[in-house]
Amino acid sequence: MFAKLKKKIAEETAVSQKPGGATRIPRSVSKESVASMGADSGDDFASDGSSSREDLSSQLLRRNEQIRKLEARLSDYAEQVRNLQKIKEKLEIALEKHQDSSMRKFQEQNETFQANRAKMAEGLALALARKDQEWSEKVDHLEKEKRFLTAQLQEMKNQSLNLFQRRDEMDELEGFQQQELSKVKHMLLKKEESLGKMEQELEARIRELSHTQEELMTSNQMSSDLRQKLEELQRHYSALEEQRDHVTASKTGAENKITALEQKEQELQAFIQQLSIDLQKLTAETEEKEKLITHLQEKVASLEKRLEQNLSGEEHVQELLREKTVAEQNLEDTRQQLLAARSSQAKATDTLETRVKELEQNLRASEEKLRQSNAVVTAQEAQIQALAAADKESDRAQQQALALQQQCTARVHTLEAQLAALERARAADQTAAAHEVRELEQENTALKESKNECEHSLQLHQLELKKLKEEWNQREIVSVAMAQALEEVRKQREEFQEQAANLTAIVEEKEQSLQGKNEVILQKEQEILQLKKGHDTALLQTQQLRSELEALRSLRAVECQAAAVQEDLLRLPGQEQGLALSVSEPHGTSRAMQDPTYQLPDAEEIPNGEVGAMDLRQLQKEKQDLEQQLLEKNKTIKQMQQRMLELKKTLQKELKIRPDNELFEVREKPGPEMPNMAPSVTNNADLPDAREINFEYLKHVVLKFMSCRESEAFHLIKAVSVLLNFSQEEENMLKETLEYKMSWFGSKPAPKGSIRPSISNPRIPWS
Amino acid sequence: MGGFFSSIFSSLFGTREMRILILGLDGAGKTTILYRLQVGEVVTTIPTIGFNVETVTYKNLKFQVWDLGGQTSIRPYWRCYYSNTDAVIYVVDSCDRDRIGISKSELVAMLEEEELRKAILVVFANKQDMEQAMTPSEMANSLGLPALKDRKWQIFKTSATKGTGLDEAMEWVCFQKPSVHLCVSVAVYTHE
Repeated sequence: MFAKLKKKIAEETAVSQKPGGATRIPRSVSKESVASMGADSGDDFASDGSSSREDLSSQLLRRNEQIRKLEARLSDYAEQVRNLQKIKEKLEIALEKHQDSSMRKFQEQNETFQANRAKMAEGLALALARKDQEWSEKVDHLEKEKRFLTAQLQEMKNQSLNLFQRRDEMDELEGFQQQELSKVKHMLLKKEESLGKMEQELEARIRELSHTQEELMTSNQMSSDLRQKLEELQRHYSALEEQRDHVTASKTGAENKITALEQKEQELQAFIQQLSIDLQKLTAETEEKEKLITHLQEKVASLEKRLEQNLSGEEHVQELLREKTVAEQNLEDTRQQLLAARSSQAKATDTLETRVKELEQNLRASEEKLRQSNAVVTAQEAQIQALAAADKESDRAQQQALALQQQCTARVHTLEAQLAALERARAADQTAAAHEVRELEQENTALKESKNECEHSLQLHQLELKKLKEEWNQREIVSVAMAQALEEVRKQREEFQEQAANLTAIVEEKEQSLQGKNEVILQKEQEILQLKKGHDTALLQTQQLRSELEALRSLRAVECQAAAVQEDLLRLPGQEQGLALSVSEPHGTSRAMQDPTYQLPDAEEIPNGEVGAMDLRQLQKEKQDLEQQLLEKNKTIKQMQQRMLELKKTLQKELKIRPDNELFEVREKPGPEMPNMAPSVTNNADLPDAREINFEYLKHVVLKFMSCRESEAFHLIKAVSVLLNFSQEEENMLKETLEYKMSWFGSKPAPKGSIRPSISNPRIPWS
Repeated sequence: MGGFFSSIFSSLFGTREMRILILGLDGAGKTTILYRLQVGEVVTTIPTIGFNVETVTYKNLKFQVWDLGGQTSIRPYWRCYYSNTDAVIYVVDSCDRDRIGISKSELVAMLEEEELRKAILVVFANKQDMEQAMTPSEMANSLGLPALKDRKWQIFKTSATKGTGLDEAMEWVCFQKPSVHLCVSVAVYTHE
């Protein structure tokens, strides 16, 4: 029935499910026969699957057949039990032999063990006491050492802390030193830079100096040249001066001569003037004489005229002629005298003239000479002037040279002064730099010294540290070793304690076992005695027990059958509720069964020992197996019940799902009538809920259809038309109107007559 | 006709939005995924009775994403939205092992639709942040994806709440888009 349902579900959902409890049943059964039985039952389920609930009678028949099979199996069991009895007898004999040998061995072992135990106990007690003392001493010692070490450790820690502090200080000092060093280096670098600048300046100055020196040299050369020229010019000048002196001397001579000549000329002029005065007198006398002559001539001309006019006056003419003759004679005399004066004058003038001419010649010569001397003088004067100019020029040149020299010297001086200043500055700089360098070096050295000191102290500290570390390590090693030793000691102690405990336990165990053994031995002795006494009675009892056993077996077989029947009954379908009760019954019966089996050992204990117990154990095992089987059956029943519930649930689910499945089937056809179909198929219980959901869905879709964009609304047409059960025409109309709305052109689709009455005004809600 | 022209225009100007449906059983996380894709935030959702439609922009591409309610009673109406769909995002709850069978049957029924013949399939193995989540390969096998023929499909492990896996999935969808465009242009051409 379940398998059928299951198959149906599997077919419907196309989900492969795992095979159910059918596989579980054989697994739980230990023996093959039961397993096969279970398998058979499984097969029966499978084969019964085709039949309906009403075929219980046939199933019952099959159950009967199974019961029969089980009975046959029970007979097999009985045979097996017989075989087991034989084995039991063999085992009894073997046990007796074993008992004897074990008794002997027990006694021997007991003696040796007691002796050993006593020795061991004494030795161990002594050793333990000693060890305890030793260990307590050692522990005390170790604790003292530990305290000492902890004290040392703390000291070391303090020292290490001091060391770390010192290290930190050292590090700080080093940092400061490095900072100062870097500062000093920086300063040095700056100073070197300034030095370099100064040197560059100095070099520039030196270059200038050399340049000026070269200029000086050239100017010196020039000045020497000029000096030479000057000397030459001076020489020339002196020569010219000599010449000039000579010329001036000649000039003075010529002037003297000129003055003499001029005196002579003046004398001569004075003579000439006397002469001219004489001449003028003479001329004036001549003129007077001539005037007299003319006057006489006029008197003669007037007397002749008077003679011609007065002829009668002859005595008078004669006297006048005589007087004329006398005047003529006088005239003649004066003429003569005149002629003589004239001649003497002419002679004197001639001489004078000659003398003048001579003097003039002399003058001319002297004048020429003078002219020549004058020209010479002028030339000399020009020369003198040129020389004076040259002299002036030379003077000027000399002055220039001097000025140049002065300038040069001044420049040289200034340069020298600059140089000196620079050198001084340089020297000062150098000294300053050197001083600084010295200072820096001093600082450096001081720092180095401090550094060295620090390093030294550091080294010392490090050494101390190392020493301390070494000490520490040693201490640590020692402490570790001590700790190890302690731990070892502890371990040893623990081991010893354990050993002691073990030993005490062993001792106790041994004592207990010994006591037990003693008791057992006593019992055994008693038993032996009893055995010896009741050997015959035991044989009888064994026979009695066998008969009892057989009776029990038969009882057992019956119980087994009953159990099997009950088990078979358990598997019957449709009686799950009743089974729960029947499941509890086997428990009761099994309890009941256990009671006699529990009682049995008491009865068998005395005569046979464990020989009968073996058989009993087997029986108990079988019984337990059967109980286990029963429990498993119960489990399977529970599982079946669970599956029933699951199937019921799935069936209900299926019933719920079915309308949807129906929908799927319906959807293959064109869909307008689909929503009508859906509620018609749905289960009556789900109907209002589905309606509600569908209404909500419809509401949502229509709301969205009305509110969303046209492109989205276009996709919703189908949903709306399906939900509202539109016809194909109505759906197409909707589509066309939407397309018209979305497009830019096209004609408004004419609403068809068939739709108009059904939908009053379809465009109002969407516009 | 107008719609035809507008579709031509929109395809000419490249403004045609890719139409994506998000489907899956109720409670798989479809609405959360939709709003995670749109606004990049996790919104508190109630069971969707109906649908949500949003325009999602990813890397300058516009998608018109429809998230349809997945409850049993409204699942039959999915088929009303299938036309002109470029891609289907099928969301499956990775922890819901009991209903994977139902999920599979719904998926198979959906893929048999003629209207979705050209649509690409993206399966989201959602809720991967949970501990008992199925692996994508396990899910693909239980959904019978390897048996699909003539279908571009891809499975992604996603977590809508953590936002993981969604970018990869959209990347894949974008990567598939040129072929979709080609199909669309060819379809327009043949239509003309």
